[in-house]
Amino acid sequence: MDASGGAQRFAHEQWPYEPKFKRVNGWRMHYIDEGVGDPVVLLHGNPAWGFLYRKFVKPLTVAGRRVIVPDMIGFGLSEKPVREQAHTLDGHIANLTSLLRQLDLRNATMVCHDWGGPTGLGFALSNPNRIRALVIMSTWAWPVPPAEFHNQIFPWRMMHAPVVGPYLLGRHNALAGRGMYLSVVDRKKFRAEAQSVYEGILPDPGSRLLTWTWPRWIPLDDSARGFARFEWLERELRKSKFPTLLVWGREDEVFDHKTFATRFKELLPHAEGPELVTGRHFLQEDSGAEIAKKINRFLDRIDGRQS
Amino acid sequence: MTQIEVVEAPRLDGKRRALVLTEDRVGHYPEFREFFVRRFALDSNGLARPGYVRAPSGMVYALVFIGRSGEPFPDGIEIYATPDALEPLNEADVDSDLWTMLSWMIESVGGEWRVEDLDATGRLYQLTAAGTG
Repeated sequence: MDASGGAQRFAHEQWPYEPKFKRVNGWRMHYIDEGVGDPVVLLHGNPAWGFLYRKFVKPLTVAGRRVIVPDMIGFGLSEKPVREQAHTLDGHIANLTSLLRQLDLRNATMVCHDWGGPTGLGFALSNPNRIRALVIMSTWAWPVPPAEFHNQIFPWRMMHAPVVGPYLLGRHNALAGRGMYLSVVDRKKFRAEAQSVYEGILPDPGSRLLTWTWPRWIPLDDSARGFARFEWLERELRKSKFPTLLVWGREDEVFDHKTFATRFKELLPHAEGPELVTGRHFLQEDSGAEIAKKINRFLDRIDGRQS
Repeated sequence: MTQIEVVEAPRLDGKRRALVLTEDRVGHYPEFREFFVRRFALDSNGLARPGYVRAPSGMVYALVFIGRSGEPFPDGIEIYATPDALEPLNEADVDSDLWTMLSWMIESVGGEWRVEDLDATGRLYQLTAAGTG
């Protein structure tokens, strides 16, 4: 392995991109860097990786944009720490900050989904001079309560409860397999096209640690580890004036649009949307090409370009 | 109804300890930590010895409690099977035993934590050990 982490390639017809690696904040991070132009950073969450954005890369690059897709430390082709204590929200924001500063990105659009929300928005709000715009999908950025869903024992809290989490999500890879399957609309297509990829990139129980760690970072009360950071996110986001597009899945049950998109709209009254597309939580799987088109049109509008 | 029996420290001659599950944060919901403290008298036993349970397959498992400076004890748990020293694990048995341990734990933690919800979770994720899959 070289100093930047070596060349680990994932061979797949839907992911023909050159793997790149950087040391970030003490870890080896994988990313792809395609196209030329103002950068668009596509951020995934739990338990996905860059593959989630496979239908975004070509339309965005063809439209004259540079596309950066990092794999969060703990997922995809990035290094996967083996202790829960290696994962903190602030640490993940610092990981992303390290990558994007090394790439010296300017005028960047941050596309944030799931835990790519708190991390991507954390970067944007602490590095505003590097940001052009935000695209926000199926995520949140405030302390509590996230939604009634996240307070329920079944199906949410039991899934990642002590000892249950390592068994269910570790031994059985439940989130990358059945969990994602349940969180798309076209399940038949997902099973044929993508499910094995998400499962296969987390081959062993030890590689799946972050899948049950992230759910434990969602604050349920003011004693939660991430509470203060989420308070900061909400406070700073409310002050931000970045051009913003909200895109949500109509069928999203994890971060339902009536609760979450509405709350983002209250925080960011200038935001466009929410534009609703076919999709549950992993809306990129059902409506990837359509969302990419919406992002291109949004960026063209704010840049004063014709689509 | 529980099929898990807490047992005294067994003789482990001719056995080995095989790590089958690691939990780094047993106190994420503090009632789980409190259950282990109560059930294995950890306030007095501390790190002196593991807890041992016998599971439906007959295998004895060692529960090794992990302390971490600055955190309430225990902070984590490692669960070890104790198979014959040179024999591989029967993974299906281990999986089934672990599921039974989860049911025992949830039943014992009690309160808002119900075995029915664990079973529903097992069915949702089509676990063989939960009688689906």
